Amino acid sequence: MGDATTIAPPKLVIQVTVNGTPHRNEVEPRLLLVHYLRDQLGLTGTHVGCDTSQCGACVVALNGKAVKSCTILAVQADGAEVQTIEGLAEGENFHPVQQGFWEMHGLQCGFCTPGMIMSTVALLKRNPNPTEDEIRHALEGNLCRCTGYQNIVKAVQYAAGQITTGSQAVNQSGNVGTPRGE
Amino acid sequence: MRGTIGASLPRPDAFGKVTGETRYPADLVRPGMLHLKVVFAGRPHARILGIDTAAALRQPGVVAVLTAADVPYNAHGLIEDDQPVLCAVGEKVRFAGDKVALVAAESREAAAAGASLVVVTYEDLPAATDPRAALAADAPLVHDRHGSNQLLHLPIRKGTIERGFAEADIVLDGTFSTSWQEHAFLQPEAGIAEVDEQGRLVVETAGQWLHEDRRQIAKILGLPEERVIVRYAAIGGAFGGREDLSIQHLLALAAWTLRRPVALIWSREESIVAHHKRHPMEIRCRWGATYDGRITAVEAEVIADGGAYASTSAEVVKVATLFASGCYEVPHIAADGYAVYTNNVPSGAFRGFGAPQAQFAAEVMVTRLAHTIGMDPVELRRRNIYREGSLEPTQQPLPPGVSALPVLERCVEEAQVHLGYGLAPQSLPATTSLVAESVEADQTATGSLTPRSARGAGNGRHSPSHLRRGVGIACGIKNVGYSFGYPEQSTATVELHGGGDIERAVVRVGAADVGQGSHLALRQIAAETLGVAPGTVEMVCDDSAEAPDAGSASASRMTLMGGRAVRDAAIEALAKWRDTDDLHVEATVQYRPPATTPLAAGTGASQPNYCYGYAAQAVEVEVSLLTGQVQVLRIISVHDVGRAINHQQVEGQIEGCLAQALGYALLEHFQVRDGRVLTPYLSTYLLPTALDMPTEIVPVILELSDPNGPYGARGVAEMPLVPLTPAIAAAIHDATGVWLTQQPMTPERILTALNVGTALEKGSSNEITTTIDTKSTVTAHASK
Repeated sequence: MGDATTIAPPKLVIQVTVNGTPHRNEVEPRLLLVHYLRDQLGLTGTHVGCDTSQCGACVVALNGKAVKSCTILAVQADGAEVQTIEGLAEGENFHPVQQGFWEMHGLQCGFCTPGMIMSTVALLKRNPNPTEDEIRHALEGNLCRCTGYQNIVKAVQYAAGQITTGSQAVNQSGNVGTPRGE
Repeated sequence: MRGTIGASLPRPDAFGKVTGETRYPADLVRPGMLHLKVVFAGRPHARILGIDTAAALRQPGVVAVLTAADVPYNAHGLIEDDQPVLCAVGEKVRFAGDKVALVAAESREAAAAGASLVVVTYEDLPAATDPRAALAADAPLVHDRHGSNQLLHLPIRKGTIERGFAEADIVLDGTFSTSWQEHAFLQPEAGIAEVDEQGRLVVETAGQWLHEDRRQIAKILGLPEERVIVRYAAIGGAFGGREDLSIQHLLALAAWTLRRPVALIWSREESIVAHHKRHPMEIRCRWGATYDGRITAVEAEVIADGGAYASTSAEVVKVATLFASGCYEVPHIAADGYAVYTNNVPSGAFRGFGAPQAQFAAEVMVTRLAHTIGMDPVELRRRNIYREGSLEPTQQPLPPGVSALPVLERCVEEAQVHLGYGLAPQSLPATTSLVAESVEADQTATGSLTPRSARGAGNGRHSPSHLRRGVGIACGIKNVGYSFGYPEQSTATVELHGGGDIERAVVRVGAADVGQGSHLALRQIAAETLGVAPGTVEMVCDDSAEAPDAGSASASRMTLMGGRAVRDAAIEALAKWRDTDDLHVEATVQYRPPATTPLAAGTGASQPNYCYGYAAQAVEVEVSLLTGQVQVLRIISVHDVGRAINHQQVEGQIEGCLAQALGYALLEHFQVRDGRVLTPYLSTYLLPTALDMPTEIVPVILELSDPNGPYGARGVAEMPLVPLTPAIAAAIHDATGVWLTQQPMTPERILTALNVGTALEKGSSNEITTTIDTKSTVTAHASK
């Protein structure tokens, strides 16, 4: 065995806009987008759950499309717009999909949640009124080990309802510790 | 605040979880920390002849390579200290996931490079990888000093087994086998550790029991427990898989030895290869019953693959042996449980803790008995199911609050409504007649080895001819809390602050929230008891130095045990508050439930548990005769939870557990060959997706108070896993006429069973002997 890792390949410069903020960084060509986001930008809301592109905990939006950020090299995102879970809320206001996952108990341990939410945002962008079957197909690439998916489906339906009726997003500081109105 | 109990309050932790702010262990890594990498054995059984760290130490960035020589007390375990932290030169590695060295480096890359440069020389040894063979006198020994691979043999005896079979009109034999199950919590093991300014070792990670992690770490390092602080970051699922130490002690060792902050993040592969699994079991059993529906005798042998280290194997096997006769009062029982050391991955705690394996066998046997005597399987259950005062196999009455029968009756009612269960075909709505006809047609096509339940298969939809629908019902029982005399306690402190009114309440209880929402449930109990709004209650739960020991988040116990400690402490604090003008009062209460007792040698006589949770499920499946694929269409899951502290969270527990149960029943095929894991990725070990789950899941919550639980609550987390595999097996049988006796019931196994079943139908005799698959023989005969 030699010490192959000591011969580092030359770094490349990339420019990526992440959650609206432009970044310019030197990265190794082999660096995955997920590690760029987590380790270099400190955006740890994007999770690593499997290393083999099954779990979907690392889904982000790349130029508006949901991608597993463990299947993309950081250099492939050069010049692109990336949105992560941290960039979803608008100021103090939750995105309707975030609201749905909270309201409908669409999470337990929460580790899959950012990926689920980002996949859902992409789904509702291309199909604002999905059927239950379409929701389940769209989320097939996102694993959850806690919820059994029932409430995740309800969360997506809730969000779809909010988006189509154009309801006001809920203030983030509301709701905590108060019974759900039902 | 009154009315808080039962309310579906939203989770306070959801804010961080939907915004990405929540910190899981891998998110705690800071610049400047040393990164750790484990050198694994990669072989099932070998003696270490030498460890050469020189090349690794020359690797730029590598700071140290720790080996067994650096570990003050090199043994740990939840029950028995039989697992080395790092395997020593001259000693053995006992499974592929054993740890040999720990590399610390300035970067993850350097740590990985360093680990690949550690040269370990081994003398490979013959491996014991089959538990039955491992019991043979000449089998290779996993632990030489143990003298045998038998970790436990537990006999349970009740009545006189010979008499039980003599009283039976019918006797059935069965053999069942189950495989490992991987927890696959979505967040792989990770964490950080450092020595703080006061010289205390702080380990921040994810686990299920702060104070037990602390105890083991302190023992390994030879430190007083107060010198060690264990903190939990957000925990990304656990399911029993974080009960054993995995990385906590490695972080502690490195931080303490090197006096630098350290971080360790396992890949999914490392997680799967190295942490314990659900026990594979082989269960051979014989059940006797009378024609009028009395189960007279159960004889069972349970052999569990414990893997390389003790972990919780002894306790799991005790539970499995106790439940070999399911939730039925049987007068004559002879059950023998064996936990066996092998050179496979260690087996340990996993949601259900021995109950799912045992009751897969028991529930299938009960349904087969019913078919054989020509009785409705529900009716046979009714006649034998546990009631208040029933004697357990351990010869003592069940703890009060036995709700097995009302749970079953409710399940049958729901199954009639949702699945048309038990309705005669002519009474079904006209739209289902086509399906009913196709079911009859099946009987000629594939043959029915046993009487089918009269049912309304389908829901008005006509299935293509290669698809068969069936319905199955099964019951389940699972203990809440620790069993068999294991010390059981939970401690909580409640502080009240304010002038006239309580302005702020602080609840200190060292309870892990593994995602199930225990912190909210405990907060609701405190708020209700104190008569304050939940927002007034502050929870301190995640630091072993700041919160007292609540025991583990396991055995479905935290709502009952932690909740009762919180409630009792709140009552005491409130009494003090009313007696004083002080601006601050505080009360600490340790709650101990009714005592359990160890199993007596030879008979297993004991009071094994202080509380049980009862469950019943009905499922409808659709089986493809072409592919062997099973789609579960509907699940009804009925549970007595005593009192639902938070309805939405209880439903979430049921639905989530059903996904894990469905995976266990049909999909999750953990494979090991010659001690090596063949399924170390989520690409080879398949988990249920949103498409695998039925769209119709009906969780039914009964609230029949437990006498000890806070507001009557008992646990629910594990119970849905218990009946689902046998319920699905019964539904597959209803659909196709064949019994599956191997878990998981994969398409290949179903196709094999179908082929064998069809072949056997062609040559029937009075005594039907059906070889359903390679491992099971089923014999039905009239014994007199």
